[in-house]
Amino acid sequence: MTATATSARQESHGLLSMIVELRAWIFLLLLVIFFEVWARSAYGQSFVINAYNLQAIGIFATAPLLLGLGQTFVIISAGIDLSVGFTMGLAAVVSAHAANMASGVLGLDLFTAMLFGLVAGIGVALIPGLVNGLLIAKLRVPPFIGTLGMYGVARGAAYLLAGGMTVPVSNAWYAWIGNGRVLGVPILVIITVIVVLLMHYLLSQTRFGQHTYAFGASRAAAVRSGINVSSLTIKLYVLSAVCAGLAGALYSGRFAAGAAQAGEPLLLDSIAAVVIGGASLFGGSGNIAGTVAGALVIATIQYGLVFINVEPFWQFVAVGVVIIISVLVDQSQRRLLGGRKDE
Amino acid sequence: MSSAPVLLSVNNVSKHFGGVEALRGVSMDLAAGEVVALAGDNGAGKSTLIKAISGVHRVDGGEILLSGRRVDFATPSEARASGIETIYQDLALADNLPVGANIFLGREPKRKAFGFLPVLDRKKMADAAKETMARLDFHVERFRAPVSTFSGGQRQAVAIGRAIYWNAQILIMDEPTAALGVPEQRKVVSLIKTLKDQGKGVIFISHNLADIFAVADRIVVLRRGVKAGERTPAETNGDEIVRLMVGG
Amino acid sequence: MERRQFLTMLGAGAAVAGTGALTLPARAENKKYTIALVPGLTTDAFYITMHRGAQAAADALGQDLLFQGASEWNVTLQVPVLEAVIARKPDAILIAPTDKVQLVEPLKKAFDAGIAVFCVDTFIGNGVFQTGAGDADFPLSYIASDNILGGRIAARALAKSIGDKGKVYVSNVKPGVSTTDQREEGFKAEIKENHPNIEVLETQFNDDDANKAAAQVQAVFGRTPDLAGIFGANLFSATGSANGVKQAGQAGKIKIAAFDAPESVVQELKDGTFEIAIAQHPAEIGYFGTVAAFAHLTGNSVPTAIGTGFTVMTKDNIDDPNVKRFLYTG
Repeated sequence: MTATATSARQESHGLLSMIVELRAWIFLLLLVIFFEVWARSAYGQSFVINAYNLQAIGIFATAPLLLGLGQTFVIISAGIDLSVGFTMGLAAVVSAHAANMASGVLGLDLFTAMLFGLVAGIGVALIPGLVNGLLIAKLRVPPFIGTLGMYGVARGAAYLLAGGMTVPVSNAWYAWIGNGRVLGVPILVIITVIVVLLMHYLLSQTRFGQHTYAFGASRAAAVRSGINVSSLTIKLYVLSAVCAGLAGALYSGRFAAGAAQAGEPLLLDSIAAVVIGGASLFGGSGNIAGTVAGALVIATIQYGLVFINVEPFWQFVAVGVVIIISVLVDQSQRRLLGGRKDE
Repeated sequence: MSSAPVLLSVNNVSKHFGGVEALRGVSMDLAAGEVVALAGDNGAGKSTLIKAISGVHRVDGGEILLSGRRVDFATPSEARASGIETIYQDLALADNLPVGANIFLGREPKRKAFGFLPVLDRKKMADAAKETMARLDFHVERFRAPVSTFSGGQRQAVAIGRAIYWNAQILIMDEPTAALGVPEQRKVVSLIKTLKDQGKGVIFISHNLADIFAVADRIVVLRRGVKAGERTPAETNGDEIVRLMVGG
Repeated sequence: MERRQFLTMLGAGAAVAGTGALTLPARAENKKYTIALVPGLTTDAFYITMHRGAQAAADALGQDLLFQGASEWNVTLQVPVLEAVIARKPDAILIAPTDKVQLVEPLKKAFDAGIAVFCVDTFIGNGVFQTGAGDADFPLSYIASDNILGGRIAARALAKSIGDKGKVYVSNVKPGVSTTDQREEGFKAEIKENHPNIEVLETQFNDDDANKAAAQVQAVFGRTPDLAGIFGANLFSATGSANGVKQAGQAGKIKIAAFDAPESVVQELKDGTFEIAIAQHPAEIGYFGTVAAFAHLTGNSVPTAIGTGFTVMTKDNIDDPNVKRFLYTG
């Protein structure tokens, strides 16, 4: 093979990899164009140059995205965390109780009570995270099974603590965290952006992130390189649970009530966001930017279809189609790029 | 050869698994800048021997000396820390990471971004990768591409590069040419020669007599856990090696 | 709640052991019946309140009550629970069937075993019983709120609060649930018949996800700036819609009628999140279901349908003890 042919091929592969890498953002762009055209022709208004819509989609995307961020790490490590939804519910219930108790029983001021609630929500999530991690790392329970078990346990615990009710929180500061704005930007969005940056740093710039990729691609490689894979696994599931805990604690502020079922419908959305974002469920690939795009794709579809007033059931179809296309793109690039052994 | 210092001595080593004697009184030496080929039929004890040397198995009898000092490794990491690297057939590469990240896996270098934020030093990793691969006389261009996009020979080079970057003195290679096409096999053979020229000791297991004769200084043949013979390529031929392997 | 359930079971077990030891004299003097209540799901304030009402009636009548159900609204989870309950041979079963069709056969087994079957809240077949018409008319009575009427009440109250004109829509869970479907049906029928200046937009389904319900409000408001009101057909639909209104900066301008009344609605009515909340009377359903079962078991006839009422809650009446007592509590 001549040098020019090789480099031409490499270039075309480079372009292809770039498209594959950015596919979630490309989906998002196409969706936005679609809704923009529709909104302009049907309602004579812009879909995207519309601060109101952007805010609404931003808020809508925060909870599934927070779950998806932790899930990204877990999926890159070739695992899965099915318990995030009810870990979020557990955290929502506990943070609501804790904030109420802090102001009601301990007599703390509302701001401190709010912090107390947030910390308690995130703190309680450490338990399912740690148990998941120990089950998977030490007892070698497959992640699917281990976290499915935790799905049930966290759910039961959440319902028990809530007594089957939602737990109302009456705390102006807490409500402000959930619904307030700073310079017009919802606080929920600000918090989520900060967490996104933090997770991006963790995944792309630290040994922890690097080892997560290596572990997901080849357990043997990680083990023989002297990486402590048990401790890595435990950290991964704790991280995922903490993200869910934060999502739950914020839920209580936003809806002024903690509910055990707060995160139940979000589990699949979180996994979908990660997969649309380019991660493979076989592990080894994925990144935070992709998950952000994936969560925005899901939120935009669901919001946009209501905005342009399409029959609601199309939302499910549309999200499903995007997931399937995303996986197909992933597999075709594997076939094209993975088979190059003869250069 | 005799002038080079002996890196490794295996003296009268035995290992049994339950009632099965996998190794019985096997001895061999490896000097710096020497390549020893381990030959033998399936079940002859080749794998058990290299696993005993690399710390996977503990021997039941005999001793292993490293530069004249007796060693008894409990784990492969202890062996690695003493300069013995083993490259298995699966290479144990993280396919999704580039060369540098594979070389540094588990020991990634860091730098401070903006003067305070610790981040992975990718430049250092890429530079080290470039330099290491050059030492192997193996030139890869794409230091940012994941190693999954590399050819089998290139991947082998990455695995070897990872070993020598961390100053391995002894490299044990399990069937390094088995899964490769002919041109790739030739590259790996020349890679082994490069290692030899740099004074490393190499033990490699192979079924391929052509490779063995092309690069080995000595050939140790095992049969049913005992050493059936030891020859230099000059004093033997393929037929004799095969006879030693199968007996009779 | 779970613990209480456990204690109830212990109590029931002790009672069974007790009657076992003293079978003849006890039966001869005062026969004690076991009545089982199988809710649609156990983790819901509505059914917990229903349990409370049933327990009150059982205590008053000196009967045993068994409360067993699945943790979520799901046929495949409810049927095994029902079968386990049948195996314990209670004298009567009060059940909120999770499906009109799929629960017919499992309940037929109870009926064939000589257990008296009553439907509470939801029903099997068409909900009209003891007609001799077919397979699904064997339950003795249907004790429930009239959800169509509930929808109508919500429509009237919402219409009043938006000045009887403007655009509204129903935020609903998902299609196919008999009670929430009926609320929507009643709401739409009332608007159509009696409130010609109100336009009902397309229903939005939220999968019981408050986050989604909120985003839907924002999207609908985004294209319909003159949106005046929303009917949240269940708790999460209402809570989520209220948050969407808040996020859209329309708190107090877009009115919300909420269906169901856990204790949290007190706060939500007071701070204006909800304009009105329609409380069903689940305790009443539980109480009269148990009384109906007892009446039947002791040889009295019972009506084939018992309708329970609603209470419309607003911030003005919520402190009234006669209103407040209809909040759902454990």
